[in-house]
Amino acid sequence: MALSATLLAELRGIVGATHVHDAAGDLVVYARDATPLFRHEPDAVVFPADTAEVAAVLALATRHAVPVVPRGAGSNLCAATVPLRGGIVLVLTRLNRILEVAPDELLAVAQPGVTSAALAEAAAARGLLWAPDPGSRTVATVGGTIATCAGGLRGLKYGVTRNYVLGLEAVLPTGEVIRTGGRLWKDVAGYDLTRLLTGSEGTLAVLTEATVALLPAPASSNTGVAYFPTLADAGHAVAAVIRAGVVPATLEFLDRACIDAVEDFAHLGLRADAGALLLFGDDGPPEAVATNLERISAACVDAGAIEVTTAREVAQAEALLAARRCALPALSRRGGVTILEDATVPRPRIAEMVDRIEAIAERHGVAIATFGHAGDGNLHPTCVLGSAADRAAVARAEAAFADIFAAALDLGGTITGEHGVGAAKLPFLAARLGDDQLALLRRIKTAFDPAGILNPGKLGS
Amino acid sequence: MTGDVFHPEQLSRCISCGFCLPACPTYAMTGDEASSPRGRITLMRALQDGTLPADDDTLAEQSSFCLGCRACEPVCPAGVEYGSLLEQWRVHQWRGRRRPLLARALMLVAERRTLLRLLGLLRRAARGVTAATAAPRDHPTRPPAERPAGPVPPAARAVPVAGEATQLMLGCFERVLFPVVSRAAQALDPRLAAPTAQGCCGALHAHNGDLAGGERMAHRLGAELPGTIVTTSGGCAAHLAAVLGRDRVRELSQWLADRAPEGEVLLGGRRARVALQDSCHLRNGLGVFVEPRALLRRVADHVELPSAAACCGAAGTYSLLRPRESRRIIDAKIDEIEAAGVDYVVAVNPGCLRQLRTGLRRRRSTVRAVHLAELLAEATPPADR
Repeated sequence: MALSATLLAELRGIVGATHVHDAAGDLVVYARDATPLFRHEPDAVVFPADTAEVAAVLALATRHAVPVVPRGAGSNLCAATVPLRGGIVLVLTRLNRILEVAPDELLAVAQPGVTSAALAEAAAARGLLWAPDPGSRTVATVGGTIATCAGGLRGLKYGVTRNYVLGLEAVLPTGEVIRTGGRLWKDVAGYDLTRLLTGSEGTLAVLTEATVALLPAPASSNTGVAYFPTLADAGHAVAAVIRAGVVPATLEFLDRACIDAVEDFAHLGLRADAGALLLFGDDGPPEAVATNLERISAACVDAGAIEVTTAREVAQAEALLAARRCALPALSRRGGVTILEDATVPRPRIAEMVDRIEAIAERHGVAIATFGHAGDGNLHPTCVLGSAADRAAVARAEAAFADIFAAALDLGGTITGEHGVGAAKLPFLAARLGDDQLALLRRIKTAFDPAGILNPGKLGS
Repeated sequence: MTGDVFHPEQLSRCISCGFCLPACPTYAMTGDEASSPRGRITLMRALQDGTLPADDDTLAEQSSFCLGCRACEPVCPAGVEYGSLLEQWRVHQWRGRRRPLLARALMLVAERRTLLRLLGLLRRAARGVTAATAAPRDHPTRPPAERPAGPVPPAARAVPVAGEATQLMLGCFERVLFPVVSRAAQALDPRLAAPTAQGCCGALHAHNGDLAGGERMAHRLGAELPGTIVTTSGGCAAHLAAVLGRDRVRELSQWLADRAPEGEVLLGGRRARVALQDSCHLRNGLGVFVEPRALLRRVADHVELPSAAACCGAAGTYSLLRPRESRRIIDAKIDEIEAAGVDYVVAVNPGCLRQLRTGLRRRRSTVRAVHLAELLAEATPPADR
């Protein structure tokens, strides 16, 4: 469905001619995000400069029943920004200013196109911490981080993005601008729309400004590594660490295949003979960090660790964390297509889930490498295939992941811990929520978006 | 279907994670996926599989808008060889008459030594220096025997070159535009031979749509300069290393790492404050960025510019082919240089040197842009102070 010349002219009238792209090449580029296998071309790409332009574009789209898919950097892993029904991709990278960092109030106000890393840097310059820490932080925008309720490497101690969003400015699909929450830590006036919009994946409204909570930056941090014979052993160690009464800032694990991939990329001198490693870290006053790292180390040794070491210098600790963040792309060096999932289980069931993943991989004849945020029970089983053209292999991987989701639900878990539902996991959403809740989601979606123009084919559609 | 433009294995390596976006200067300018490395690889794939026609406008625009700085490579965890893909892309985009006229002219000049010499004469004439008066000073290629037999600096004596010839590459445009650079390099290590009979390395060709020509020229230069080739140009170093192998090539800062003489660059009795502008291909292609910093710290106080590692906008022929974008990039950098309060900004590539000088002159800045070799050669030995 190509957009009419009149509609394109109206769009150009709103944002300026140079900010509407509809050449064949532009449409190819915006047909995808970071998710493999999902592709659909939009009809136009629009780059608004401010809230008023966003509102005018949305009102126009509602009038003409044209789909609109909001997009930041397109680094999500659930095909949340693939325009399944064509229409307009609304790119928010021009709204890229940090409006305020307020140390007195422990908050910041930012536009959605600012990267998460840039916000963290601005906060750090004032001695503050922007806690959400997704692996893609250097790329991902604040808008996308909020729209997917991103998690990351600090989730265990600090929680996920929803814990830090105080207020939002958002444009409804019908063009009205609303402001939810604000600079208040306590505010129970009305339904908590801030939380509803956080994680709504661009299906309810377009975020145009966020007021976010910051924390005093911890005085120090340190990181350590424990090696185990198997990934399940590392899973048991995670339970032991939590039982020891420590809530570390970071508790990540990688299996053998992931260690090899990361080592090939980052050359950190990781052990080549262990079946799994557990990356742990904490932050706070130096004495507290040292004590906690000692307790974690002891719990790991008790749980059967082959070796436990802590980083001697900051640069080394940073390198370990950076290496963990690139586990996925590093794995991709092994083949042509990398499918990554995000199943999550209650923490004590991690070792059990790891065993199930291994059995499922074997049953379907696919190689699955697993890494993830062990402390949150959040696993990233990852399947590397030779090529997307190998339909049979893709089908085997998809069947394996369907079983993995079922296993996670069976253990009291969920189909996605932090990546989002998007187009990729929508088929599994009913299994997680049940029919009644899914019907409620649809009614909520209709209340916000009567014409059904925002990110159609995703949540609530 | 144009399925043979790119090496399929290289093209398939990108998983579209987007980690390259924040490193890309053109994405920073536009915020548009189409002008990001990931977006450009999506475009390359569309060209390869026939989704887009070979003469598509976006393909033409984005292959030319890209600086080719390769800042996306070190941040790519999937190991995508973007620089190589871009070279292949431009072979397709800029074949024959489609190659920008200016690029064609420059390539022609670089291939023909007589034209280069003519350019040199014209340049001197324009500056009001006659060829006759300039010759003794500006002749960059005195054979080693004619060099004054002064004492060899101790640092240089300490490292013998075990019978292996070591030759200084003069550079096609550098020997004309900045002959003082190779003279300074030879002053720093008088055993560097610099035969006059040497051509262009072909980097210019490889980056402007003539990959085969670029490789041919690198091989020819390799034959003209047997043994280790030392170059004062980061861009040439990366191209030569890619064609001839890394063991044949040393960029000057690598070569001088343990050979540079002691000394200090003093201005009115104090140590000079100096910023470094990385050479993109030296840093992103060869991973060399510690060495030039270490050298200049020996002779001056080093100030790291926030964008030292980012392209200055010279980018080979880019400053001539896309002057508007190039100027946007250098203007922002000049702001940084002015704010840093430095006396010198040092380049390790002739293109960057030209770009920095132009940018500083336009701003009437008092900061001087010099090549690393010039700065080191200016250092006063401790005994002379």
